[in-house]
Amino acid sequence: MSLLSDPKPGSPRFVATYGAVALLALIELVILWQAIHPNVPEAYRAYYIDHTTTCMRQPVTGAYTMGTTIDFRSGGSDTTELRPCGWEGPVGNGMHLLGETARLRFATGTTTEAMTLTLEMTADDIEGMSDQRVVVSANGTPVGTTTIPRGQTVTVPFAIPAGVTADTGLLDIVLDVPDAVRSRPGDSNTRKRSIKLTEATLTPN
Amino acid sequence: MQHMLQPASTTSRSRTALIFVLPLLFLVIGLALRFLAFRVAQPEAGPSAFITAMCRWDCGWYVKMAQTGYDPFPIPSRINAGNWAFFPFYPLLVGAIRLVLPFPTIVTASIVSLLTTYAAAVIAWPLFERNLRAFTLYAAYLLSGPFAFYFTSFFTEPMFVLTMTVVFVMLKRSNYMGAGLATVLLSATRIVGVFATLSLIVQAALDHRAATGSWRGLIGAFLKRPNLLLAIFIAPLGLFAYMAFLNFYIGDGLAFQHTQRAWGRPYGNPIFFVWQGLTAWPNTGFWPTSSQWLAGAAVLGFVLTLVLAWRRQWAQALFAFVSLTLPLFAGLASVIRFTAAMVPITVLAMQLLASRRWLFALSLLGIIVLGYVIPLAWLGNNVALV
Repeated sequence: MSLLSDPKPGSPRFVATYGAVALLALIELVILWQAIHPNVPEAYRAYYIDHTTTCMRQPVTGAYTMGTTIDFRSGGSDTTELRPCGWEGPVGNGMHLLGETARLRFATGTTTEAMTLTLEMTADDIEGMSDQRVVVSANGTPVGTTTIPRGQTVTVPFAIPAGVTADTGLLDIVLDVPDAVRSRPGDSNTRKRSIKLTEATLTPN
Repeated sequence: MQHMLQPASTTSRSRTALIFVLPLLFLVIGLALRFLAFRVAQPEAGPSAFITAMCRWDCGWYVKMAQTGYDPFPIPSRINAGNWAFFPFYPLLVGAIRLVLPFPTIVTASIVSLLTTYAAAVIAWPLFERNLRAFTLYAAYLLSGPFAFYFTSFFTEPMFVLTMTVVFVMLKRSNYMGAGLATVLLSATRIVGVFATLSLIVQAALDHRAATGSWRGLIGAFLKRPNLLLAIFIAPLGLFAYMAFLNFYIGDGLAFQHTQRAWGRPYGNPIFFVWQGLTAWPNTGFWPTSSQWLAGAAVLGFVLTLVLAWRRQWAQALFAFVSLTLPLFAGLASVIRFTAAMVPITVLAMQLLASRRWLFALSLLGIIVLGYVIPLAWLGNNVALV
């Protein structure tokens, strides 16, 4: 009898084949169960699975010389180590904030004094877009909100309180853009548009 | 009797020779056409840059995968787009072959793709019901046609077409175990490959009805055939094996789906996306926009799927319908590539185009001409072809 032909009901081969079917079904169920119960880091879960953020932090050093003005336009500074997430570019007129949140990181060393972060930003000019609010926090401490009229450029200083970087020597800036818009219906929120960052300076007070 | 058999036997031998020679001929013609397009599009580049020049868009991802395998998490290159989105079978096969061949990865991949697509063309012969004209068009389409660069560079399409062809040849012969084993590889090549399992079930049901004249007793008949059940449960193993690997490696068996978020694809109703594409009129002139080309490809794919259904080729129609519809939930991206590599649809299209001698001649000419023209658009970074 060929192995390709079906075995007679009740024969040993019939039982063995059914056993193989049951085993395969069990293996596939286990793999499915594991797939719907992922065991992943929090950042992975938030970005890929729960979609609670559009900005998944990448490990960057934040290497920065205090007081330097960083140019985020194309042809400007290499800003890779300052951008943990939420940016796309640079393009000619700046670095696009993409999604609902973006982050900057500055390595400040052991300083504990107050600082000023000055950001030059331009609101995108997309049809149907309103003025863009940018809510800024530093290491979890809110440091201000600014509103940028559509298509306009503003330079805004944010006061960073003393001591916020004492523990880590790193200043993690979060920019939330609650008025960001989808440029096409159905677009992912990871593609939302709001502002472009053109320059940033961190100076000790 | 001897005299009567002699011509038939000779004809059969000639036909067998043609089945092997025609695809080889179109393989050579296709290479020449694409090389010519490359020389016209990039006259400053040396001839040796040809193979690299044809490797665009996702091809770059596959080259890297063949060299370094899957990304861990966090991704070393500090991007969100994990290469878990790309299914393993073909890039890892090329990765294994490159270990024994002394060529750069893209050269090895292109050689393997050419051989794989050649094999896909030859193996497809039983799907053409001895229609040599349709088979000729199909071989020309795969190896010298407008989309031959997908099938001869480093995309998953060569293996997808080959394994899909084997599935439908096996189903045509009611060889469910063969179809199931081919579906293992198909579902490890692209996610939609797993839906060939549905085609297997449908074909088995249709065969039951053809044998008994009734749907009655279908479940009982299936249960009395453990080999059929085994084939059904073996078929999706390619997908399940990949899920098990991702679960072990990343901790997320659905990482291939979850990482799509990093590409920022939209999510919505396929009908909406197709309509949006069709009505994306050009700002100037009459030449259709990329969106219109993509939406047009989707519409053509569905029309041909309807023809498959009308011809009661239910197993093929079901696979084509599901495989074309699912990607459309994420917009029109890559629809031309997905439609161009859908075997039931392309086989049907070639059968229709071969139905009249003059139409066959015109179609063959069109395939060859477009086999030069469309690569020019590909080399020009035409986004509709991504």
